[in-house]
Amino acid sequence: MSELKPRKDLLDIESLDREEIEYVLENAVPFKQLFQRSVKKVPTLRGKTVLNLFYEPSTRTSSSFEVAANRLSADVTNFTISSSSVVKGESLLDTIETLQAMRSDYIVIRHQAAGVPGIVAKHTGASVINAGDGYHAHPTQALLDAMTIREVYPEYKGRKVVIVGDVLHSRVARSTSTLLNKLGIEVAVLGPGSLIPEGRHDFMTRLRSWDEVFDWKPDAVYLLRVQMERQEGQFFPSIAEYHKMYGMNSQRLVRMRELGAYLMHPGPVNRGVEITDEAMRYERSLISTQVENGIAVRMAVLHWLKPETDKD
Amino acid sequence: MGEVSLFFINGRIAAAESSELREADVLVDAAGIITAIGTGLPAPEGAEVIDCAGCLLVPGMFDVHVHSREPGDEHKETLASCAAAALHGGVTGLVLMPDTSPPVDSGNLVKSAMDLVSEVSPIPMHQSGCLTKGRQGTELAGFSGMASRGVPMLTDADRTVSCPDLMRRCMEYARDFDLLVTSHTDTPALSKAGVVNEGRVSYRFGLPGIPGISQEIAIDRDILIASHTGARLHLQQLSTARGLESVRRAKEAGTKVTCEVSPHHLVLSELEIRDYNTHFKFNPPLRSVEDTEALVAGLIDGSIDIIASDHAPHTEFEKSSDFGSAPFGAAGLETTVLVLHDRFIRTGVFGWDLLIQRYSDAPRKLIGQLPVAISEGTAAEFFVFDPAAQTVITRDYLRTKSPVSPFIGETLAGAIRGTIVRGMWFA
Repeated sequence: MSELKPRKDLLDIESLDREEIEYVLENAVPFKQLFQRSVKKVPTLRGKTVLNLFYEPSTRTSSSFEVAANRLSADVTNFTISSSSVVKGESLLDTIETLQAMRSDYIVIRHQAAGVPGIVAKHTGASVINAGDGYHAHPTQALLDAMTIREVYPEYKGRKVVIVGDVLHSRVARSTSTLLNKLGIEVAVLGPGSLIPEGRHDFMTRLRSWDEVFDWKPDAVYLLRVQMERQEGQFFPSIAEYHKMYGMNSQRLVRMRELGAYLMHPGPVNRGVEITDEAMRYERSLISTQVENGIAVRMAVLHWLKPETDKD
Repeated sequence: MGEVSLFFINGRIAAAESSELREADVLVDAAGIITAIGTGLPAPEGAEVIDCAGCLLVPGMFDVHVHSREPGDEHKETLASCAAAALHGGVTGLVLMPDTSPPVDSGNLVKSAMDLVSEVSPIPMHQSGCLTKGRQGTELAGFSGMASRGVPMLTDADRTVSCPDLMRRCMEYARDFDLLVTSHTDTPALSKAGVVNEGRVSYRFGLPGIPGISQEIAIDRDILIASHTGARLHLQQLSTARGLESVRRAKEAGTKVTCEVSPHHLVLSELEIRDYNTHFKFNPPLRSVEDTEALVAGLIDGSIDIIASDHAPHTEFEKSSDFGSAPFGAAGLETTVLVLHDRFIRTGVFGWDLLIQRYSDAPRKLIGQLPVAISEGTAAEFFVFDPAAQTVITRDYLRTKSPVSPFIGETLAGAIRGTIVRGMWFA
């Protein structure tokens, strides 16, 4: 475990090897145990600075990183740039220049354009953590999902997870499915044909209905957040129809109970769309565990990455 | 015109008619006319001797798809830097796209563009005109005025006339002037905000995709309108195997349609896009390996008439944006001959004759120009190519103002030693 090659940035899941994944997931466990203590802080990153750079509003992810950094005793600066204030064609390189001048050790970045964290990483010595870029990747979400599954299934290999919803536009689906696949967990998808892309990973088996899902006997059902309106047009007729076809409701909950399957969601949930109020109270819902594990995993990631800020 | 006559010795002449290379010396007088071709010719007194041992003399290429950016975007490219790039790449004539600022949509603007060309360009450049006013796709542009100024073709350059009724009127109206209608072949309602080929690559990168059908439907639509109206139609930048099949069927049915392919669609697939490198962002996008293979086959069997570079300069700064926001296109004039030689001629996939047919003869014929050949009594218009040398494509190698190219960093077999046109030798 101690022989890991130092890594500067966390940009996606694809480039991680098995050892690195294990390292982060195992380190997240003691960090999580810390949350039970009265003093939840460790001095690991004392004197280091973390810049939270969010081009897309996200209270949850941004706060999760902020809490993680605080618990490691780092100094955190939050920098939210509302997309309306970004002039179109604003130069990314100019922004990077500005960031360089701030001399942060870690830059947590969320951006609506796929690939931006990679560009920033190339131009800075700071460790860059991708907190979600376009439809591309959301690696810390994937890691927290894997941690959550491992907690309930210590023997996770060969387990089955079905991802339900808008796979086409979901960076969560991309990153989480890739990570689960790397861990030897089977992945299937359920959703309307307009949102299940042909070009998806080969390992993502497509299931056509909830009946097929329950016949497949998933160990966990992962619901994605649904967005009705998209710039590129409409992908299903109505929220009501989506809810009827793909939402988690009381009948489907009965089947979930029979299987003992867990329920997951990256948040924030749309009640009444992908999930009913009743399903939110499902005893095997892992949704709040995911939030808690998010902090632990992000602490482990900050602890793991090695900035090259002294080279700037 | 040159000061002295030029004597190219020990070279071999390439021609469209045959893959055989002919060993001969070529004498070009001070006026730029080839006065003698043969072996063992005596060097005339005062002639500058250019030793072409091991090299080929190749007829100058002609590029029907060039964005010069002047006027309006001179920070990307100017007519002068565009001409320098062309000469550096063995291209001795070209057609300028009308998507300048302002767009060339009237006879007066064609005239002012051609006046500028005659002032600054050492090579012939033909200014094309817009199909619709301001390339807005709503009203017909001034066809008769542009026709009287001799535009070689009408096109909305990188924009499709999306209304089928308006495209029909364009073709009906253009037919009266025997004007060539050139279509970018895209269906904007399908390509939307797409930036890469839709499929595995768009999924993996999390980028919005451009499906093949966005071009295929436009090809089918424009072929049908051309066949209905009897207009001459030229299709730009084929990118998919299915689009090519449509063109084949249309040609068999006797529709007056020609088409072109860009070098990047012949030699690069979507799989070459790595690390969100925006130098590989094109419109139409780089497609699958199967598509590139079909396009190469179509080029060889003649279904594809023309090679055109789609020289589309953008500054490095503009291209340093994220993949979604960066502009489409890259420089192409200087790399087309080198890349196609390296990938196809060197490896025996096709010969120089085919390259000359598709990148020199057919494009000239498309706009009613005579082909250029290296023969006695004609104006010298050729370049000297050294197949034994190597060219490393770097920013410094490129003479375009915007050295953005997917081939930067590559070492290509062969080198262009110099180009002669209008009696001037550019080495």
